[in-house]
Amino acid sequence: MLTQLIWWSSIALEIALLVRGLRSQLAHRLPIFYGYITFVALLDITRFLFQRNSQVYPGIYWGTEFLALAIGSLVIFEIYKVSLAAYPGAARMARNALSFVFLTAVAKGLADVATSGGWQPASTALQMERALRTVQAAAILALVALFLVYSIPFGRNLRGILLGYGLFIGQRVIVLTFMPPQGHHFWFYAYSWVYVVTLLVWLAHLWSYERCPQPRIAVPLEQEYQTIAAATQRRMQAMRVYVRKAVRL
Amino acid sequence: MIEFSSLIAGATLVLLLMVVAMRGWRASRDFDEPQLARCDEGISEQCPEEFVARIFSRADWDFVRGVRCRGIERLYQRERRRVALVWVRQISAVIRRVMRGHAEAARRSKNLEVSTEISIFAQYAASMAVCSVLSIAIQMAGPLWLGGLAHFAQKLSLRVAKLQESLQADVLAKAAGSRAA
Repeated sequence: MLTQLIWWSSIALEIALLVRGLRSQLAHRLPIFYGYITFVALLDITRFLFQRNSQVYPGIYWGTEFLALAIGSLVIFEIYKVSLAAYPGAARMARNALSFVFLTAVAKGLADVATSGGWQPASTALQMERALRTVQAAAILALVALFLVYSIPFGRNLRGILLGYGLFIGQRVIVLTFMPPQGHHFWFYAYSWVYVVTLLVWLAHLWSYERCPQPRIAVPLEQEYQTIAAATQRRMQAMRVYVRKAVRL
Repeated sequence: MIEFSSLIAGATLVLLLMVVAMRGWRASRDFDEPQLARCDEGISEQCPEEFVARIFSRADWDFVRGVRCRGIERLYQRERRRVALVWVRQISAVIRRVMRGHAEAARRSKNLEVSTEISIFAQYAASMAVCSVLSIAIQMAGPLWLGGLAHFAQKLSLRVAKLQESLQADVLAKAAGSRAA
């Protein structure tokens, strides 16, 4: 009964999100995100139709789950692309941070293979999903950290996507750590309910289009980066000297 | 067992530091907020060096001790601690402002250098860490102790430098002697 309720509410919210996206023209501005929602809605309907077929359902579930995960990674790319379009400097830092995250993940994967002497056939789909979700979580954390450091203003719409997706990925990583491979238990319901909450967050933030706020301080673009960086370093150095001198006096 | 005891020790330490930091924050918040906001505009204009110099100096303390009144001594210590904490807050506000200004300019620069950015961020993090350590030290031991410690460290480093110079001179003299022989 509870499972059915979660299922139906998820499908209803996904459809509502798509309808609002089309009506507010947000689907044209954020095509990857709305493509992802369309895919997940179709996936939920397909899973719902095949839920009683125990032979076909596991194949459909895991196949679509990994496909959804891959498309979900593109959502992170869209957040990066849209929010940093006006900030080439911050975008460059983000590219480096994301490359670092993915290279670290690949290096860790290779190191695990080397230490265990080959691919682990026993590693379950759940373990694989947890590893991939952890990489996604690290990528989102890196992006959020950069947004905070560079005070990137993102409007209500992007903030909602980031908030919802971050919540979804974060709880998924935690749940996958404790979740047994089969059965309907607390962690299964926790995962499903948080997805419904995620959809509600998206629906509230993406109800209508809101223009992204522009930076208040106009910085002359021709100003050389080297000059800016040198001035900052000089000021930081001056502050350190000032503190040292004050304490020693 | 070892993990459990280290966990307890770590948790207690973190809690203690949190309490100390919280008390420091509350003590400095009790001070005049508009004054703080004005001082944040620029340290050099609003907080003259003579004023800052007195925060960590022993001169006032020696004077107050000369009065030989416990009540005045306690009042002085409490007020001086508050002033020192407000000063540290002003410093960290200025550092944050410098970093914010840099980030707002750098985020739009097409020729941004990743290594320079990392270095600036490291400087910022180190400066903020120094402010946190200062704040905790002032809260725990007071600005006078901190000034004394810095004075002692400076003396010690001078002694070490002198010792190093004399050792170097000694080595050079020996080398010159062996060459002459």
